Amino acid sequence: MSTQYKILLIALAIAIISVLTIYSTTFDRDNSLERGIYKRQIIWIFIGMLFYFLFSNIAYRRFWDWVYPIYFAVILLLLFVLVLGAVRMGAQRWLKLVWLNFQPSELAKLAVIIFLARYFSQRSLYSVWTGPNYFGITRGLIIPFFVTAVPMLLILKQPDLGSALLVFFVFMCMIYLARVSMKYLVIFVMFLLACLPAFWHILKDYQKDRLLVFLNPNIDPLGAGYTVIQSKIAVGSGGLFGRGWLSGTQSQLHFLPESHTDFIFSSFTEEWGFFGACALLFLYVYLIKTCLDIAQKENDRFGRLLAFGITSFLAIQIFVNVAMTVGLAPVVGIPLPLMSYGGSSLLMTFISLGILANIDKNRSVF
Amino acid sequence: MRIRFFKLVLFALFIFLTLYIFYLEVVRGGYYRDLSKNNTIRIIPEEGARGRILDRNQNILVDNYLSFDVSIIPGDMHDRDRTFKRLSEILNVPETTLRQRFSINYLAPFSPVAVAENLDRQQAIRVEMFSYDLPAVLLHTTPKRNYPYANLACQLLGYLGQIDYWRLTKLEDYGYKTKDIVGYGGIEERYDYYLRASEGGLQVEVDHRGRFKRTLGYKYPANGKDVQLTLDLSLQKIAEDALSENGNKGAIVLLDPSTGEILAMANSPSFNPDLFITGSPSALQKIFNDPDSPLLNRSIGAALQPGSIFKLVTAISALATHKISPGTTFFCPGSMRVGRRTFSCWNTHGQQNLYQAIAHSCDVYFYHTGLAAGPEAISEFAVRFGLSKPTGIDLPQEAGGFVSSPAWRKTVRKQGWYDGDTANFSIGQGETLTTPLQLARMMAVFANGGYLVTPYVVKAIDGKDVSANRRRFQAIGADREFINVVRRGLRQVVSDEHGTADILNMSKVAIAGKTGTAESPPHQPHSWFAGFFPYDSPKFVICVFLEHGGSSHYSCQVAKKFIEKMLDEDLL
Repeated sequence: MSTQYKILLIALAIAIISVLTIYSTTFDRDNSLERGIYKRQIIWIFIGMLFYFLFSNIAYRRFWDWVYPIYFAVILLLLFVLVLGAVRMGAQRWLKLVWLNFQPSELAKLAVIIFLARYFSQRSLYSVWTGPNYFGITRGLIIPFFVTAVPMLLILKQPDLGSALLVFFVFMCMIYLARVSMKYLVIFVMFLLACLPAFWHILKDYQKDRLLVFLNPNIDPLGAGYTVIQSKIAVGSGGLFGRGWLSGTQSQLHFLPESHTDFIFSSFTEEWGFFGACALLFLYVYLIKTCLDIAQKENDRFGRLLAFGITSFLAIQIFVNVAMTVGLAPVVGIPLPLMSYGGSSLLMTFISLGILANIDKNRSVF
Repeated sequence: MRIRFFKLVLFALFIFLTLYIFYLEVVRGGYYRDLSKNNTIRIIPEEGARGRILDRNQNILVDNYLSFDVSIIPGDMHDRDRTFKRLSEILNVPETTLRQRFSINYLAPFSPVAVAENLDRQQAIRVEMFSYDLPAVLLHTTPKRNYPYANLACQLLGYLGQIDYWRLTKLEDYGYKTKDIVGYGGIEERYDYYLRASEGGLQVEVDHRGRFKRTLGYKYPANGKDVQLTLDLSLQKIAEDALSENGNKGAIVLLDPSTGEILAMANSPSFNPDLFITGSPSALQKIFNDPDSPLLNRSIGAALQPGSIFKLVTAISALATHKISPGTTFFCPGSMRVGRRTFSCWNTHGQQNLYQAIAHSCDVYFYHTGLAAGPEAISEFAVRFGLSKPTGIDLPQEAGGFVSSPAWRKTVRKQGWYDGDTANFSIGQGETLTTPLQLARMMAVFANGGYLVTPYVVKAIDGKDVSANRRRFQAIGADREFINVVRRGLRQVVSDEHGTADILNMSKVAIAGKTGTAESPPHQPHSWFAGFFPYDSPKFVICVFLEHGGSSHYSCQVAKKFIEKMLDEDLL
């Protein structure tokens, strides 16, 4: 089976689980709009598939040329959001288009990946013989960090700590995989650790609460710690086999907030138990492995870095989200790709996978 | 290289995640499942009726009636102001009162909150009529305590109230909860475990706001168990009438000398336990602050000097230690010198033998007897007669009383014991303290011929006789002959024309007993009478105690009234 269909099949399997879980968490709600939410997700899945095929047929090399327009368009969109974005749940993240709400930060993540992929695959005339560790500190660290920091800060301002951190993690993965000298990486990480106390003051109060609560959820069980505690209860009450589809009390009786978006993993695990969780995680790991294989096989430096960037972005997102629902990571608003309800996230994931499929398809065979 | 390391780290992270999920779901799964259940399952409690309290002939002393109550289900109340306003008009109760009760009794959105209780029929009908208009308002009946005889035996029965913190800490393990209604004092407290209704209720599933989702099950509330007492309603009534006739403070205990059953236990002053259910806080405050302490069960809770009744202990101890014989005589010149003090007698009796001394309550005779027997022997026999420790009756808050001894004096008070103390001790003055029940029990020894009974007041629980467990007898450890000597003396107290209780000399029934006048300056002395009847085959032991009632003559009068009334009603 061609890799293109393999990826799609895995993604669809996860998306179907997503629809089942969203249905289960919302079918009992009073609000008819919320009850029909799974249908919207289905529509989004179809749109996503459409985009998947679209992007798997656009030669990824074209992004090389489009990097600057895409990058600056994203910066512009992020600025737009800050000025006239819709405020939802206390954060200004959405741009209201005709009938859908769109999160430019989702696009920003992809833009940063494409930009960095091109940046690190550009070689000067001398690079032919200077080998992989060519990049100096300016070229290898400072310039790319600056490029990443602009959209990152704009996202942080929304405020969307989760997405900003995600962009940052992707950046770290990219410079690591682009073979920037280990020496600079270590220095950079040390520098960041030294700056950590200063970051504390930049954070908003609720973000501080979330971090404190992560360290000990019981300091505020009804406030900031509530979600983590309820999420752990949901996961823990699943047991080996789960409580059965449509029988999860934590999610259906609304004890677990965000049960069909950020915390959908808890809702799923409550109903399907440890075996369900294993199956889902296996699908994710298999997807990541398939994507990493594409990257490893690729000879074109740009394509390879692009594939790595996209894969690490997906992997980090999945890991952080699941870790967050079981209380191993602080609560930052990161959706679970392909599972969480939401159009932007789903669409961007399918687009990313589409680009990966295209990279695989266009592998130059020497 | 870097890629392989990256892959490795990634997979390691996911394996770690899986392991942690295994820990959460399987290792600690039970814990989290319980937490999940706690989140969703609620019980809407429903109370059964508290057990009834019956007398020995199945007459109802305390039972329950159904009271019409109005409750509001908070979750269904959409227009708060209107609901309270309408309800206030219908019930004719100020709106603020309703709101206040609502906020005090509020538990959860789905659980009904009682805002008005004890409606009369008219009000109940009006509420039911307007119920279509007020969907959140619920008219229902709840069992309430009913006291058909009001004050009768109130200290023995006890009253009801909301559980206090101290009790809650002790009783939590037995399923008691905050806001539970529990018994205070008497039977209601001691047998609360049996009397209390087991809580049933509706088990429901609720959502995160506590709103009702679906019913999971229903458990019928079970009524409490009936408790049957050994008390005889008619005797109790007579006793209370006889006691409170002159506004006396005091107690009457009537018990069966062969078994230890309490047949009547009257205390004065009394209170109406209904006040604790329907009364205002100020009425309750009045009861609590009353200097005459109507809540006190004097029969078992008041320990005071026994006065001359204690002479019986002195007599038995001297007889048993062979210091005197029934024929021993002492001369009473009206006073006696012990050490450097003169101890007087209340009269001049001349030559007295033991029978006469008991009949006339001659102090001098018992000074001699006590000094002959010695304080240790008296003290020991006092303990054998059940003084100085609680009788073990199945009622709470029983006082133990006190009996002195030279050893106690020395170890606790660091003082010596002198012959003067022995003299005082012999006639029941000084440090000795006894409750009316203890004296009745002591008198029962002479009535039944030498056995100390354990008094009890509960005959059966839920129709099952439990008295067999309570019937415990203890031999007094003195010759039957000596007991009979004193017994004959007791008869002479009544039959002798100069006997101290000669007013009790009736033709229809032969009474025996002993009077006591315990000095308690600066007040009037306490007045005692303890006796038994009929003399030949005693069926009743009576102890009358009047707190600061004056001479023993007055308690004899009360006893006389009581026995005459018994004869009138043919209860003997």
